[in-house]
Amino acid sequence: MDQLIIELKQKIIETLNLIDITLEDMDQDAQLIGGDLGLDSIDVLELVMMLEKEYGVEIDNKELGVKVFASVTSLAEYVFNNGLSGETRAKTV
Amino acid sequence: MHRLRVFITSMGIIGPVGQGIGETIDSVQKSTAAIKPLHLFPASHIPPLPVGQITAVPWATDMPRTHTLALMASRDAMKDTCEAPDAVVIGTTTGGISLTEELLKSQIQDVRRYALHSAGSVAEYIARHVGCNGPVLTVSTACSSGNTALKIALEMLRSGKVNRVLAGGADSLCRLTYYGFDSLQLVDVKGARPFDFNRRGMSVGEGAAMFLLTAAETPPENAIAELLGGGLSCDAYHPAAPHPQGDGALCAMQKAIADAGISPDEIGYIHLHGTGTVDNDLTEARAIRSLFGDLPVPPCSSTKGAYGHTMAASGAMGTVMSIFGVTRGILPGNTGLHDPDPALPLTPISVPTQPEAPVRFALSNAFGFGGNNAVLVIGHPTRSKNTGTTVAATPPVFFSVLGSACLGGAGDIKCIIERMAQDEPFAGTVPPAEFTRYLSERHARRMKRLTRMTLSLAIAACGEKEATDSPVSVFFGTGWGGLSETHDFLEKLFESDERFTSPTDFIGSVHNASAGHVAIHFKAGGPNVTTTGGNCSFEQALMSADLLAGRDRDPLLVVGADEYHPTLSPLFDPSVAISETPSDGGGALYLGPETTPSACRIRTACLDYAGTDEQDIPNRIGHLVEQLGGVQRIRDQFGTILVGIPAFHRDIGQRQLDAFLSASGYPRRIIDYRRYTGEFASASAVAAVLAVSFVKADEVPGTHPRYPTPLGGCGVLILGFGDYITAMEVLP
Repeated sequence: MDQLIIELKQKIIETLNLIDITLEDMDQDAQLIGGDLGLDSIDVLELVMMLEKEYGVEIDNKELGVKVFASVTSLAEYVFNNGLSGETRAKTV
Repeated sequence: MHRLRVFITSMGIIGPVGQGIGETIDSVQKSTAAIKPLHLFPASHIPPLPVGQITAVPWATDMPRTHTLALMASRDAMKDTCEAPDAVVIGTTTGGISLTEELLKSQIQDVRRYALHSAGSVAEYIARHVGCNGPVLTVSTACSSGNTALKIALEMLRSGKVNRVLAGGADSLCRLTYYGFDSLQLVDVKGARPFDFNRRGMSVGEGAAMFLLTAAETPPENAIAELLGGGLSCDAYHPAAPHPQGDGALCAMQKAIADAGISPDEIGYIHLHGTGTVDNDLTEARAIRSLFGDLPVPPCSSTKGAYGHTMAASGAMGTVMSIFGVTRGILPGNTGLHDPDPALPLTPISVPTQPEAPVRFALSNAFGFGGNNAVLVIGHPTRSKNTGTTVAATPPVFFSVLGSACLGGAGDIKCIIERMAQDEPFAGTVPPAEFTRYLSERHARRMKRLTRMTLSLAIAACGEKEATDSPVSVFFGTGWGGLSETHDFLEKLFESDERFTSPTDFIGSVHNASAGHVAIHFKAGGPNVTTTGGNCSFEQALMSADLLAGRDRDPLLVVGADEYHPTLSPLFDPSVAISETPSDGGGALYLGPETTPSACRIRTACLDYAGTDEQDIPNRIGHLVEQLGGVQRIRDQFGTILVGIPAFHRDIGQRQLDAFLSASGYPRRIIDYRRYTGEFASASAVAAVLAVSFVKADEVPGTHPRYPTPLGGCGVLILGFGDYITAMEVLP
């Protein structure tokens, strides 16, 4: 799980071009959208696309999106439980 | 002095519910719904998303679809006349992208195949077909483009300089819009249901509507309707989402009503923008509620549930619907509306309705990305009390230049002038450090090259005055728009077998995205117009500024910029393809009314679509000289001439220049500025800023064996030759 959190942070930084942010700057439990990082609804859509491409996770409604994108931790949990890689990971744990 | 009114004397329309006025009105009366799963090109969705497509026009791989649709509507609009219009103004966002996508997918490298890629090529194609040699303008303000084009045409006619204008909007289905809106989760998989409680988004569509507009003191016999007024505004709030209370939409409606000289209680019908997205319909409903206050809201409807969101054509097609309401007593139904949304402060009419009393005036709403809003007022040709706009023979209107900035391969204006003083070119691509002077990485993280350049130029041009006298309106000329975003969007799409894209790149790929960022930065709520007319995009922006903000008291920005993209620029721009040095850059002018004291002033004197007919050169040059006030004025007023001839048009451009020199006998220095700037569409924006700098310094940098460097209190003329003949004057 810790590895997945680091991986997701890297992918968020890369996908959203947050080049002035380091992994340490991102608190995994802090509010992800509308928080200090200045992320908004377009960033959510960009992340939805990335998650589907990289992890096979589909997030196609707002209600689910609000839950999943609450923090990096909640995002990691969702990917872990629902993603293709998540399944693979679950089997190997 | 006389008073002019503007009438629609004929119109043409093609859309998913029919071709021509007859078929369209028949469909409207029957509430025909034409939203079906996409079949024009193979899509990765199973089943394909529902769209509004024109099945009668087959998908072609040799001609862009937008051009075909625009031509079909234009032919209808011109069917009763063989006289060429004096000007053509077309709103489009997709241009030739439908064909470009096919070519890029097949990795075609032949530049000639991309000749109709640009947004500007649609209006040029139409101009060639109808034989127009006057101003040809292309407006790309996303989904408000069609109505914005009509507002510009209205002002051209009111100015008294032209009598007949062919204007409207056109856009075709393409992968960019089909996948782009889906990536934003703005597409309703059940088809658009505007204003319905269960609405989930839009259906992407295609179409074209064109109008022949005529200026006259009294209604001509063939007048169908009167175009009474138009209002433009910008939300200056978000690149893709509307202002939550609909403030920008309200402002555009209020301006349109004021421009028409009517009051809200006289409006009998509103054709709504009504895309079917949760946010658009809510904010539009709120704006309309605020517009009417305690008054009842008149019958209103959106037809996007019948034929989808036809992008740049949507406003123009909605204007046709408004005309049906005013002249035929048919108010279209809001197809797709079954369960009215109690959260909305208005309920559109769900079925076609005959109004209780004749509709005297109707509104046509169109809103788009970049927070662009354009609203028109349509009236019955003889039921209106309109007395027209006074046209008087006044001297040409100039803008005062309050600030300026430019960027080129050498860097900013200071570096550029230093190079010119050494008679060295400054071609090349703008060093990225020029952008970081004005934009932090965080601020610019979603901006790619063109937007970074445009916003940097705008901030630099305003300088310290930004704090006290911020620009209210923004005019932006770009030949090619955000090429980085267009490229990255399509690359990601094709690499993933059309499964993945970037929503951010989609928003950034819209030609007016950069101008939207400028508006957000300056909170500029006035007109926000992007023109995309190839090598004279900047001149088109300056002309639009003159037409739309020339009588305002507020300061404004006119910017021109283009980026060099290593893959797309050499494919799209034939002048770039044959040039050795990849180059880009742009210029920005911060302007005020002529009465504001400043060191110099600027105006566009000529913007003629010349085509490439060599036989016609004497006529075209004669017109240019006339527009500049004659040979004597040219010799007296201008200390030097900056001439821009795009490399691809070198031969004809040189002949045009020779003809001009022979006609005017101009005795002083001619500077061939593209030899300094390098080849890019908005090089003339750099030339304009150079001219400002020369006039301020009262000298031309560098030494020349034959000509003195001082301007001696004279101005600088900037001429453009090639497929357009343009002139801008900068005078002290």
